[in-house]
Amino acid sequence: MATQQNVVQYGKAIQYQLSQIVNPVPVYAAFNRNFATQPKFVVWMLRNVHQPVYTGPVQSVKGIDRPIFQISIFTQEIEDGFTISNQILQSLHGYSGLFGGATNGFQISKADVLWLYNSYNNEEKMAQIFLDCTLDIPT
Amino acid sequence: MALPNKVLPGFSAALYCQPTSSPTPLTTAQLSLVASVSPIAVSGNLLPVEAIPAFGQDDAVASFSVAGSRQSDKIPVQAAPTSMTITAAWNPSDANLLLMRGDAASGVIDRTFVISATEGSNIVYYAFNGRVGQFQIDAAPGAEAKCTFTVHPRGNQYGWSNNA
Repeated sequence: MATQQNVVQYGKAIQYQLSQIVNPVPVYAAFNRNFATQPKFVVWMLRNVHQPVYTGPVQSVKGIDRPIFQISIFTQEIEDGFTISNQILQSLHGYSGLFGGATNGFQISKADVLWLYNSYNNEEKMAQIFLDCTLDIPT
Repeated sequence: MALPNKVLPGFSAALYCQPTSSPTPLTTAQLSLVASVSPIAVSGNLLPVEAIPAFGQDDAVASFSVAGSRQSDKIPVQAAPTSMTITAAWNPSDANLLLMRGDAASGVIDRTFVISATEGSNIVYYAFNGRVGQFQIDAAPGAEAKCTFTVHPRGNQYGWSNNA
Protein backbone atom coordinates (compact mmCIF):
# COMPACT_ATOMS: atom_id res chain seq x y z
CA MET A 1 0.00 0.00 0.00
CA ALA A 2 1.70 3.16 -1.14
CA THR A 3 0.01 6.46 -1.84
CA GLN A 4 1.18 8.73 -4.64
CA GLN A 5 4.13 10.82 -3.51
CA ASN A 6 4.34 14.57 -3.93
CA VAL A 7 6.59 15.78 -6.76
CA VAL A 8 6.83 19.23 -5.12
CA GLN A 9 8.86 17.56 -2.37
CA TYR A 10 11.04 15.88 -4.99
CA GLY A 11 11.83 19.23 -6.57
CA LYS A 12 12.62 20.98 -3.28
CA ALA A 13 14.81 18.09 -2.12
CA ILE A 14 16.78 17.91 -5.37
CA GLN A 15 17.36 21.67 -5.38
CA TYR A 16 18.55 21.62 -1.77
CA GLN A 17 20.78 18.56 -2.09
CA LEU A 18 22.51 19.71 -5.29
CA SER A 19 23.08 23.18 -3.84
CA GLN A 20 24.73 21.64 -0.77
CA ILE A 21 27.02 19.44 -2.88
CA VAL A 22 28.29 22.04 -5.36
CA ASN A 23 28.17 25.13 -3.11
CA PRO A 24 29.02 27.95 -3.93
CA VAL A 25 28.20 27.13 -7.59
CA PRO A 26 24.58 28.20 -8.29
CA VAL A 27 21.93 25.53 -9.01
CA TYR A 28 18.85 26.15 -11.14
CA ALA A 29 15.75 24.07 -11.92
CA ALA A 30 15.78 24.86 -15.67
CA PHE A 31 18.12 26.36 -18.21
CA ASN A 32 17.94 30.01 -19.05
CA ARG A 33 20.24 31.63 -21.59
CA ASN A 34 20.93 34.49 -19.19
CA PHE A 35 22.70 32.08 -16.89
CA ALA A 36 25.23 31.48 -19.65
CA THR A 37 26.97 34.70 -18.66
CA GLN A 38 27.98 33.02 -15.39
CA PRO A 39 31.34 31.17 -15.39
CA LYS A 40 29.84 27.98 -13.95
CA PHE A 41 26.41 26.77 -12.89
CA VAL A 42 24.38 23.57 -12.51
CA VAL A 43 20.88 22.83 -13.87
CA TRP A 44 18.64 19.90 -13.03
CA MET A 45 15.56 18.41 -14.70
CA LEU A 46 13.30 15.77 -13.17
CA ARG A 47 11.79 13.00 -15.29
CA ASN A 48 10.42 9.43 -15.17
CA VAL A 49 8.42 9.89 -11.97
CA HIS A 50 6.35 6.73 -11.85
CA GLN A 51 5.00 4.43 -9.18
CA PRO A 52 3.84 1.20 -10.85
CA VAL A 53 0.11 0.60 -10.51
CA TYR A 54 -0.95 -2.72 -9.07
CA THR A 55 -4.16 -4.64 -9.66
CA GLY A 56 -7.42 -3.85 -7.91
CA PRO A 57 -9.84 -0.97 -7.46
CA VAL A 58 -7.96 0.57 -4.49
CA GLN A 59 -5.96 3.52 -5.83
CA SER A 60 -3.27 3.51 -3.12
CA VAL A 61 -1.94 0.05 -4.04
CA LYS A 62 1.22 1.15 -5.87
CA GLY A 63 4.90 0.35 -5.93
CA ILE A 64 7.94 2.43 -5.08
CA ASP A 65 9.02 5.44 -7.10
CA ARG A 66 12.33 5.45 -9.01
CA PRO A 67 12.49 8.92 -10.56
CA ILE A 68 15.50 10.20 -12.50
CA PHE A 69 16.83 13.73 -12.48
CA GLN A 70 19.31 14.89 -15.05
CA ILE A 71 22.11 17.14 -13.85
CA SER A 72 23.61 19.47 -16.47
CA ILE A 73 26.85 21.20 -15.56
CA PHE A 74 27.82 24.29 -17.55
CA THR A 75 31.29 25.82 -17.16
CA GLN A 76 33.52 28.16 -19.13
CA GLU A 77 36.55 26.05 -18.14
CA ILE A 78 36.28 22.36 -19.07
CA GLU A 79 38.24 21.29 -15.99
CA ASP A 80 35.77 23.10 -13.70
CA GLY A 81 32.99 20.93 -15.11
CA PHE A 82 34.92 17.74 -14.40
CA THR A 83 35.65 18.97 -10.88
CA ILE A 84 31.98 19.66 -10.21
CA SER A 85 30.86 16.35 -11.67
CA ASN A 86 33.43 14.59 -9.47
CA GLN A 87 31.99 16.36 -6.42
CA ILE A 88 28.53 15.11 -7.37
CA LEU A 89 29.74 11.55 -8.01
CA GLN A 90 31.66 11.37 -4.74
CA SER A 91 28.77 12.73 -2.74
CA LEU A 92 25.70 11.23 -4.42
CA HIS A 93 26.59 7.92 -6.09
CA GLY A 94 25.53 5.09 -3.79
CA TYR A 95 24.22 7.50 -1.16
CA SER A 96 21.56 6.16 1.21
CA GLY A 97 19.82 8.26 3.84
CA LEU A 98 18.16 11.66 4.20
CA PHE A 99 17.95 13.40 0.83
CA GLY A 100 17.11 17.08 0.59
CA GLY A 101 17.73 18.40 4.09
CA ALA A 102 15.72 18.44 7.30
CA THR A 103 12.87 20.69 6.11
CA ASN A 104 11.86 19.26 2.75
CA GLY A 105 13.94 16.08 2.58
CA PHE A 106 12.95 12.43 2.71
CA GLN A 107 14.76 9.13 3.16
CA ILE A 108 16.04 7.42 0.03
CA SER A 109 17.21 3.82 -0.18
CA LYS A 110 19.80 4.59 -2.81
CA ALA A 111 20.97 7.23 -5.27
CA ASP A 112 22.57 5.91 -8.45
CA VAL A 113 24.50 8.40 -10.62
CA LEU A 114 25.22 7.67 -14.26
CA TRP A 115 27.80 10.00 -15.88
CA LEU A 116 26.42 10.35 -19.42
CA TYR A 117 28.85 12.47 -21.46
CA ASN A 118 30.65 15.79 -21.73
CA SER A 119 30.30 18.24 -24.59
CA TYR A 120 31.01 21.82 -25.66
CA ASN A 121 28.64 24.49 -26.94
CA ASN A 122 30.58 26.84 -29.21
CA GLU A 123 27.76 29.37 -29.43
CA GLU A 124 27.61 29.90 -25.67
CA LYS A 125 31.32 29.15 -25.21
CA MET A 126 30.50 26.72 -22.43
CA ALA A 127 31.60 23.19 -21.64
CA GLN A 128 28.79 20.87 -20.64
CA ILE A 129 28.60 17.65 -18.65
CA PHE A 130 25.44 15.58 -18.24
CA LEU A 131 24.68 13.09 -15.47
CA ASP A 132 21.57 11.06 -14.65
CA CYS A 133 20.72 10.32 -11.02
CA THR A 134 18.15 7.63 -10.17
CA LEU A 135 16.55 7.81 -6.73
CA ASP A 136 15.05 4.73 -5.02
CA ILE A 137 12.37 6.17 -2.75
CA PRO A 138 10.65 3.77 -0.34
CA THR A 139 6.98 4.48 0.37
CA MET B 1 -28.23 -4.58 -10.92
CA ALA B 2 -27.19 -7.23 -13.42
CA LEU B 3 -23.82 -8.89 -13.81
CA PRO B 4 -21.53 -7.00 -16.19
CA ASN B 5 -22.01 -8.25 -19.72
CA LYS B 6 -18.66 -7.17 -21.10
CA VAL B 7 -15.03 -8.23 -21.21
CA LEU B 8 -13.39 -7.10 -17.96
CA PRO B 9 -9.98 -5.42 -17.99
CA GLY B 10 -7.13 -7.25 -16.28
CA PHE B 11 -6.28 -4.65 -13.65
CA SER B 12 -9.48 -4.67 -11.67
CA ALA B 13 -9.05 -7.88 -9.66
CA ALA B 14 -8.10 -7.73 -5.98
CA LEU B 15 -7.20 -10.36 -3.37
CA TYR B 16 -8.48 -10.20 0.20
CA CYS B 17 -7.71 -12.45 3.17
CA GLN B 18 -9.77 -13.16 6.24
CA PRO B 19 -8.37 -11.23 9.24
CA THR B 20 -6.87 -12.43 12.57
CA SER B 21 -4.19 -15.03 13.19
CA SER B 22 -6.65 -17.84 13.97
CA PRO B 23 -9.56 -17.35 11.57
CA THR B 24 -12.66 -19.51 11.23
CA PRO B 25 -12.93 -20.18 7.49
CA LEU B 26 -16.30 -20.01 5.79
CA THR B 27 -18.26 -23.19 5.23
CA THR B 28 -18.59 -24.55 1.70
CA ALA B 29 -22.13 -23.15 1.50
CA GLN B 30 -21.03 -19.74 2.76
CA LEU B 31 -18.29 -19.53 0.10
CA SER B 32 -21.02 -19.18 -2.54
CA LEU B 33 -23.05 -16.69 -0.49
CA VAL B 34 -22.40 -13.03 -1.26
CA ALA B 35 -23.59 -12.01 2.21
CA SER B 36 -20.80 -14.10 3.76
CA VAL B 37 -18.10 -13.35 1.19
CA SER B 38 -18.46 -9.59 0.68
CA PRO B 39 -17.63 -8.63 4.34
CA ILE B 40 -14.16 -10.12 3.77
CA ALA B 41 -13.65 -8.05 0.61
CA VAL B 42 -12.94 -4.75 2.40
CA SER B 43 -9.86 -2.55 2.04
CA GLY B 44 -8.52 -3.49 5.50
CA ASN B 45 -8.16 -7.10 4.34
CA LEU B 46 -6.53 -6.22 1.03
CA LEU B 47 -3.27 -7.94 0.14
CA PRO B 48 -0.94 -5.58 -1.81
CA VAL B 49 -0.70 -7.91 -4.80
CA GLU B 50 0.97 -6.72 -7.99
CA ALA B 51 -1.17 -8.84 -10.31
CA ILE B 52 -3.71 -11.55 -9.58
CA PRO B 53 -2.56 -14.88 -11.10
CA ALA B 54 -4.91 -17.27 -12.83
CA PHE B 55 -7.59 -18.58 -10.49
CA GLY B 56 -10.25 -21.25 -10.80
CA GLN B 57 -9.89 -24.97 -11.18
CA ASP B 58 -7.06 -27.22 -12.28
CA ASP B 59 -7.54 -29.95 -14.85
CA ALA B 60 -7.88 -33.37 -13.33
CA VAL B 61 -8.51 -36.73 -14.93
CA ALA B 62 -7.90 -40.30 -13.94
CA SER B 63 -6.28 -42.25 -16.77
CA PHE B 64 -6.92 -45.95 -17.12
CA SER B 65 -5.20 -48.44 -19.39
CA VAL B 66 -6.56 -51.95 -19.61
CA ALA B 67 -4.15 -54.58 -20.84
CA GLY B 68 -5.14 -55.68 -24.32
CA SER B 69 -7.43 -52.73 -25.02
CA ARG B 70 -6.56 -50.46 -27.96
CA GLN B 71 -7.20 -47.17 -26.22
CA SER B 72 -6.85 -45.95 -22.65
CA ASP B 73 -9.69 -44.14 -21.00
CA LYS B 74 -9.63 -40.69 -19.39
CA ILE B 75 -12.20 -40.39 -16.63
CA PRO B 76 -12.81 -36.74 -15.68
CA VAL B 77 -12.95 -36.21 -11.95
CA GLN B 78 -13.71 -33.08 -9.95
CA ALA B 79 -10.67 -30.87 -10.28
CA ALA B 80 -8.93 -29.15 -7.40
CA PRO B 81 -8.90 -25.34 -7.17
CA THR B 82 -5.76 -23.81 -8.63
CA SER B 83 -2.84 -23.00 -6.37
CA MET B 84 -1.94 -19.31 -6.65
CA THR B 85 1.58 -17.94 -6.44
CA ILE B 86 1.24 -14.34 -5.28
CA THR B 87 3.83 -11.60 -5.73
CA ALA B 88 3.37 -8.60 -3.48
CA ALA B 89 5.52 -5.58 -2.67
CA TRP B 90 7.23 -6.33 0.63
CA ASN B 91 6.28 -4.02 3.44
CA PRO B 92 7.74 -5.60 6.59
CA SER B 93 4.94 -4.25 8.80
CA ASP B 94 1.96 -4.81 6.50
CA ALA B 95 -0.58 -6.53 8.75
CA ASN B 96 -1.95 -8.85 6.07
CA LEU B 97 1.48 -9.90 4.78
CA LEU B 98 2.39 -10.73 8.40
CA LEU B 99 -0.70 -12.96 8.52
CA MET B 100 0.57 -14.74 5.39
CA ARG B 101 3.99 -15.15 6.99
CA GLY B 102 2.39 -16.61 10.10
CA ASP B 103 0.23 -18.98 8.03
CA ALA B 104 3.29 -20.19 6.14
CA ALA B 105 5.13 -20.80 9.42
CA SER B 106 2.20 -22.74 10.82
CA GLY B 107 1.24 -24.67 7.71
CA VAL B 108 -2.12 -25.80 9.13
CA ILE B 109 -4.12 -22.57 9.30
CA ASP B 110 -7.15 -22.63 7.02
CA ARG B 111 -8.17 -19.15 5.95
CA THR B 112 -10.80 -17.84 3.55
CA PHE B 113 -9.44 -15.82 0.62
CA VAL B 114 -11.63 -13.74 -1.67
CA ILE B 115 -10.84 -12.49 -5.16
CA SER B 116 -13.06 -9.68 -6.39
CA ALA B 117 -13.28 -8.85 -10.07
CA THR B 118 -14.70 -5.35 -10.28
CA GLU B 119 -16.32 -3.47 -13.12
CA GLY B 120 -17.66 -0.16 -11.82
CA SER B 121 -20.14 -1.16 -9.12
CA ASN B 122 -20.50 -4.74 -10.40
CA ILE B 123 -18.40 -7.24 -8.46
CA VAL B 124 -17.87 -10.95 -9.02
CA TYR B 125 -16.42 -12.84 -6.04
CA TYR B 126 -14.39 -16.05 -6.06
CA ALA B 127 -13.92 -17.34 -2.51
CA PHE B 128 -11.90 -20.31 -1.34
CA ASN B 129 -10.29 -21.72 1.77
CA GLY B 130 -6.58 -22.26 1.59
CA ARG B 131 -3.27 -22.62 3.36
CA VAL B 132 -0.11 -20.62 2.68
CA GLY B 133 3.30 -22.03 1.82
CA GLN B 134 6.61 -20.95 0.32
CA PHE B 135 6.79 -17.47 1.84
CA GLN B 136 9.89 -15.80 0.38
CA ILE B 137 11.44 -12.33 0.33
CA ASP B 138 13.30 -11.28 -2.82
CA ALA B 139 15.39 -8.15 -2.22
CA ALA B 140 17.00 -7.62 -5.63
CA PRO B 141 18.91 -4.30 -5.51
CA GLY B 142 17.59 -2.91 -8.81
CA ALA B 143 13.92 -2.90 -7.86
CA GLU B 144 11.57 -2.88 -4.91
CA ALA B 145 11.67 -5.86 -2.54
CA LYS B 146 9.19 -8.59 -3.42
CA CYS B 147 7.32 -10.93 -1.13
CA THR B 148 6.24 -14.17 -2.81
CA PHE B 149 3.96 -16.83 -1.35
CA THR B 150 1.73 -19.60 -2.61
CA VAL B 151 -1.87 -20.16 -1.51
CA HIS B 152 -2.93 -23.79 -1.78
CA PRO B 153 -6.73 -24.12 -1.76
CA ARG B 154 -8.37 -26.97 0.13
CA GLY B 155 -10.28 -29.43 -2.03
CA ASN B 156 -13.95 -28.72 -2.72
CA GLN B 157 -13.88 -25.53 -0.62
CA TYR B 158 -14.57 -22.74 -3.07
CA GLY B 159 -17.51 -20.86 -4.47
CA TRP B 160 -18.61 -18.09 -6.82
CA SER B 161 -20.96 -15.25 -5.98
CA ASN B 162 -21.72 -11.71 -7.12
CA ASN B 163 -23.46 -8.56 -5.98
CA ALA B 164 -25.97 -8.51 -8.85
